[in-house]
Amino acid sequence: MTKLLSKNAKNRTPVLELKNIVKTYTLGTTTFNALDSVSFAIYPGEFVSITGPSGSGKSTLMHIIGLLDNPTSGQILLEGQDISHFKEEALAKTRNITLGFVFQQFNLLAKTSATENVALPLLYSDVPKNDRNKLALEMLTKVGLADKAPNTPAQLSGGQQQRVAIARALVNNPIIILADEPTGNLDSKSGAEIIKLFHHLHEDEGRTIVLVTHDMDLAKQAQRIIIIRDGKISSK
Amino acid sequence: MLKPSLNDLINSSFKSILKNKGRTALTSLGIIIGVTSVILLTSIGNGLQIYINQQFESLGSNTVFVAPGKIFNDKGGFNNNESGRFISTSFTQDDVTALKRSIKNTTIVPVTISQVEVKSNKITKNDVTIVGSTYQYAASANYLPSSGNGRTFNKEEEDKKANVIVLGHTLAKDLFPSGSALGKKVIVKGKTMKVIGVLDKKGGSFGGPDVDQYGFAPIGIIFDFVGNQKINQMLIKTQDKTDVPQTKIDITKVLLKKYDKDAFTVFDSSQLLSSINAIIGTLTIALSGIAAISLVVGGIGIMNIMLVTVTERTREIGLRKAIGAYPRAILIQFLIEAIILSSIGGVVGILLGALGTWGISQFFPAQITVGSISIAFGVSFAVGVIFGVAPARKASMLSPIEALRYE
Repeated sequence: MTKLLSKNAKNRTPVLELKNIVKTYTLGTTTFNALDSVSFAIYPGEFVSITGPSGSGKSTLMHIIGLLDNPTSGQILLEGQDISHFKEEALAKTRNITLGFVFQQFNLLAKTSATENVALPLLYSDVPKNDRNKLALEMLTKVGLADKAPNTPAQLSGGQQQRVAIARALVNNPIIILADEPTGNLDSKSGAEIIKLFHHLHEDEGRTIVLVTHDMDLAKQAQRIIIIRDGKISSK
Repeated sequence: MLKPSLNDLINSSFKSILKNKGRTALTSLGIIIGVTSVILLTSIGNGLQIYINQQFESLGSNTVFVAPGKIFNDKGGFNNNESGRFISTSFTQDDVTALKRSIKNTTIVPVTISQVEVKSNKITKNDVTIVGSTYQYAASANYLPSSGNGRTFNKEEEDKKANVIVLGHTLAKDLFPSGSALGKKVIVKGKTMKVIGVLDKKGGSFGGPDVDQYGFAPIGIIFDFVGNQKINQMLIKTQDKTDVPQTKIDITKVLLKKYDKDAFTVFDSSQLLSSINAIIGTLTIALSGIAAISLVVGGIGIMNIMLVTVTERTREIGLRKAIGAYPRAILIQFLIEAIILSSIGGVVGILLGALGTWGISQFFPAQITVGSISIAFGVSFAVGVIFGVAPARKASMLSPIEALRYE
């Protein structure tokens, strides 16, 4: 491990590394470990899927990878930097710069144009106002929706909405794209197109993608599968 | 540095508000009503004050009044319950003579009032107020007929107790419905008198004495009507308004020799004016205060809608937090939305209040004040801040995980 993290092997520095992550929930008098000493690393340009049955700790793990939740103990290294001690505001800033989220429910703002939806993360960044719409349009072009830029979510199909959401995840040029059941709300054809888009982003742009799903068939689309069961990694 | 910038936040708040135009209008309605009523009431109070001040200015600031009874209390307001309120002292010719002797360089005008029957050849009016005074009265009280409408009586007519009368505008109209009253004869308590002047319309002052209904005649005639020589009040004109304070002291000194201190009041128009202004001011504040209660109700309406909005937009808040909004950015966004809602109400209320003031001013003195506009806007802004904080805090404290999971 130390060898992998040495400065001479820059290209092999994990973009994200979890070390002995424990997340404990207390329900009344009983405590239980949703995550029990989870360690793994994700390397630049990897397409990794995290899968497991419901209640396995998959969601908890995703929240910790997404910097939305703090672990009870353990270390999170983001591009080699320990961010375990980051407070809410610093975490928000880190999410804004380094992560791109894709959700099952798309989570687009209603009555708001595709362009404005895509530009939303830039509102919280240092990108000057004049560049935001230009960048958003670039991303919409990348996902093949340049002609839908002025449309609101209600005027788009489910698959198109998810592509707008992917454009939004890309607009801040994140180091990891974190997709949580991205095809869960789509028919199989639209779902396949979304996965194709992920493959394109991975292969042609070298994006690092983490796909969280309960669907083993979908998980198999990734380069590498991390299976979690009862809060422990059972295979990686 | 604040990210997003305030400009961006205001922009996105405006967008959110405009997505729900109907709701925005209804939410602002409470503030609109509150601000409109505050503006209208202060405009009326202010207009009233200006109107009354103008009326007093026409009397002249160099006039000292002597009236029976204790009119003012010790605090400068009107005397409502202290002793002396209802004493109806009357003065005599001796008092006038005494005052004339001891106070130089002034014009002393005695006034006596009686209510009598007045007849023209066709019409009879009962209980008409006839003001009896000296020839200087009309000039002192600003009751001179305008050119073409005759004149007031002169010193000679006063001394001779000539049977001449000046009629108020309405009285003249009532007695002579067709044609001018000028030069006609009227019978006042059995005595035939010639109308030598008709006054222009002065307007009644809010239930107070309406001089348009009055007649004006030499004081000697009124003494004959009532059968005594009692003087109801006196006007003392000084050369200059700087003489007023000393004149008041001198008059008081003279009258105290004969009367108890609570039996009469010596005052000038500024004193009366400040008492009336104090009353109108208090009334305006009290009424505006009542109207301001609706601003609080409006504020609660805004808080209610903002709480609903925060719940409705839980997923949006979760998303914004996930993609990098820190709690303070969310807090400020929702606070700004509340402030915009209440400020829209404030601006619309100010416009409606201005429009209403204009409408009222067509038939009642009303004048909008810059003060009331700025206070109304300030208060509606503050209402937005006060009632927006709780919902905005609630929004900012949502956990992104819980918020994203919210159905």
